[in-house]
Amino acid sequence: MLNIDQGALTENKLAGVRSLYDRHAAKLLGYIFDVVKDRKLAEEYLVKIFCEVSNQFDDLGWEGSWCQLQRFAKHQLMIFVDTAKYTGLEDREGLTLQHSREAYFGQLTKEQKHIFSEVYYYGKTIAAISIDLDKTEDSIRKTLKEAFAIMRKSGEN
Amino acid sequence: MKIKEYIESGILEAYVLGSASEAETQELMYLKELHPQIQSALYDLEVDIERMAEYMAIKPPPDIWFKIENDISELVKRPAAEQLSVTSRPRKERGGRKKEYIDVDSKSSHMRVHKIWGWILIAIFILGKVFLGFAIFFYLENRQIKEEISNLKSELKQLKTEIKR
Repeated sequence: MLNIDQGALTENKLAGVRSLYDRHAAKLLGYIFDVVKDRKLAEEYLVKIFCEVSNQFDDLGWEGSWCQLQRFAKHQLMIFVDTAKYTGLEDREGLTLQHSREAYFGQLTKEQKHIFSEVYYYGKTIAAISIDLDKTEDSIRKTLKEAFAIMRKSGEN
Repeated sequence: MKIKEYIESGILEAYVLGSASEAETQELMYLKELHPQIQSALYDLEVDIERMAEYMAIKPPPDIWFKIENDISELVKRPAAEQLSVTSRPRKERGGRKKEYIDVDSKSSHMRVHKIWGWILIAIFILGKVFLGFAIFFYLENRQIKEEISNLKSELKQLKTEIKR
């Protein structure tokens, strides 16, 4: 009886993870690829992250949103990836951005790109960035908001 | 608090990207319940972030899901097996010092113990060998002394009988 219940629970969990995978795997792979810049490695991390999702499925109370999964993945990547490999948009400046990425990041100023990259890819807090850049937290948040507004417009176009 | 200013401050963006502090997050969660404008702005931001991620999406190879499924099945099997075995968990002693106890499950024939026990058992084994060596040495020594004493006794007897004659 206990075994059947255990099996049913596992099946439910697997179905939940599968549903998250179907909805967000492509987005997550794109995000991980932007962080590690290596397709094979990105795929390995994708597997690891979904395994970790399954591991913590009952504790996290998944609502299934992309933002929740992205925040979780960012935290996991900070554990998996060593800092040397953890590059963001900064290192891409000299490279030709893919068309879709260019549409979003091409319009940003260097500072906006830096702050967005620190937050989105490195998972840095506003407080940490304000210390690094020697600026107030308010001005960092404002710049982040501007970056967002520009990217929103770029996406709509 | 002016809600428009709060929305314009960039706190919502910081939260959506996961870089808001604990205090900011708590404040936002509280205000979100009170002000539908904040809830709606937050929803819009989440949609934007998702749209951006969709633009940058990379379709995973078809076999990736099977790898995930396999790994999850392995992970599910492993803890089930571990539940049957002996586990040690740290507990605090009265003085605050950590001490490890071993929980034994009678259903399992295996047990997991701390690595230190390996070294302790090796030390016990070596000490056992040393004591055994000493015991054999003293036993032989003792036997030799006893033989010498009996020889001396017999010599003494012989001497006594010779003197009497």
